[in-house]
Amino acid sequence: MSKVEYAVIGTGEVPCGIYPKRSEFEIAYTVARQAIQDAGINKNEIGAVLGAVHIMGSEYNTELFFGRLPEAIGAKGCKITAATVSGGGSSFSIRKTAEGILNSGETDTVLVIHAQRFSQFSANEQIKYFAAAGSDIEWDLPYGMTYNALSAMMTQGYMAYTGTTIEQVASVCVSHRKWANLQPNAMFYKKSLTLEQVLNSRTVSYPLTAFMCNVLADGGSAYIMTTAEKARQVCERPVYILGEASDYSHRSITNAVFSDFSKMHSFFEPVAKRAFERAGLAPEDMDIFELYGSYPVITLMLMDSIGIVEHGKSGVLFERSETAPGGKYPCTTNGEALSFGHTGTGVGFSVFVEGVRQLQGKAGRAQVPGAKFLIDDCGGGAFMDIHFTVMGNEIPN
Amino acid sequence: MDIKEKLKQQFNLSDEDFVKPLPVPTKWSQPFWDGAKQHKLLLKRCEECGRIDHPPYLYCTSCLSDNHVWIEASGRATLYAFAINEYGVPFPFMPDLPYVLALVDLEEGPRMITNVIDCDHKKLANGMKIEVVFEDVSEHITLPKWRPVKQ
Repeated sequence: MSKVEYAVIGTGEVPCGIYPKRSEFEIAYTVARQAIQDAGINKNEIGAVLGAVHIMGSEYNTELFFGRLPEAIGAKGCKITAATVSGGGSSFSIRKTAEGILNSGETDTVLVIHAQRFSQFSANEQIKYFAAAGSDIEWDLPYGMTYNALSAMMTQGYMAYTGTTIEQVASVCVSHRKWANLQPNAMFYKKSLTLEQVLNSRTVSYPLTAFMCNVLADGGSAYIMTTAEKARQVCERPVYILGEASDYSHRSITNAVFSDFSKMHSFFEPVAKRAFERAGLAPEDMDIFELYGSYPVITLMLMDSIGIVEHGKSGVLFERSETAPGGKYPCTTNGEALSFGHTGTGVGFSVFVEGVRQLQGKAGRAQVPGAKFLIDDCGGGAFMDIHFTVMGNEIPN
Repeated sequence: MDIKEKLKQQFNLSDEDFVKPLPVPTKWSQPFWDGAKQHKLLLKRCEECGRIDHPPYLYCTSCLSDNHVWIEASGRATLYAFAINEYGVPFPFMPDLPYVLALVDLEEGPRMITNVIDCDHKKLANGMKIEVVFEDVSEHITLPKWRPVKQ
């Protein structure tokens, strides 16, 4: 078990959706103030302000690199500002940066911000960007490769080699939507979704239908991270980072360390185990599984790796609604990319922030009663890496 | 009116918007594309440790050696997994819809992302035998694609 050194004491979040008139700056400043007020600290206590890079470029990035955020937020005590990015893994790499700064002793309080406005780009620009980002420009793109096709191939392979059904894959989307229906900030808060709708929606990339593919959206979130010692002093219910673990696989899926899609758990599972060990906890101690899969098949592969179900069988949990509100294994309680909305690097942030809210008892209608411990993950690229974090509102003995 | 003309009108596009992206070879991948031009499927094999790197990189990703040889692959592979794009692709590929993307496992070991062509989409199956076929797409570039081995 590792020493518990870091904690989150407050969060902020804006509604996710299509808001062309809400700039990245407005999002960043808004979520920062929310996080400061939620944490109940003086803004001048913040010694470092970290921002996630805006995907697809933006004037925001230049301003981020040139130190706009601390000035605009009025963080008069700021000593360090920086931008961090590793695609979908950014919520982890930025937190690692925050932990490094806290560990340096330069400050005991870090503000982390994410803001994204995809709606400033046309649908064609977004399709072109993600086709190129998700695949190799030289080796894949000339074949008409797309990000959806990448996930479709993984879904096709996973189903063929594990016996998982398309209904089980679709059940992930339905489970996520049920959570999003309890989340006022979710893009699809007010829209219900049935299994039939998922299965009967237009095929985008066989076997994926439209509702199995996430929708790019505008949004952002923030949180305040401090040393565990300070957290205990200033916060009634801090959320402790209990154990973390990481691994990297590939750039191109063709070079993935998991060449067998029915055994993706062979990549994820040892990482989850390390995170549990460092936390001094076991899978059965988890009250929530805040998983960032981005596509239903990845959520299934992740769930296969946590140690609560037989490999390749997690589809059954979703099919039986055990992952939905009221179920035994609450999974991704904000609805994730598929139903909360895909804000670029922000999906990992929104899932993490939701985890903090759950453990602080601030998750509103989505609150899992008595939640004490959860496991969170994120990963980026074309499923290039994995980062698991075990969090809790108490430190296990 | 063909699909391209329809899209041009609908989205106010020009012919340029329909130019497909082509590989821009690097210093270390040029021999692969030179081989493809001659309808040969070449793989970069390390002379020190025998590692085949695909995509090829500047040096061997196993032992960091520069010492390598380009070997000609048999052109036989098995279909590992596939997807069929039907919607939501970049404009240049819209006239091709639906088309197959596949992960294929070469006899020599590497896995590639490619198209499976000349096939009945309903008959695609994991593990089926496929063979390479070369498609000359420009003066300089030939793309290796794959098709089912005829029974």
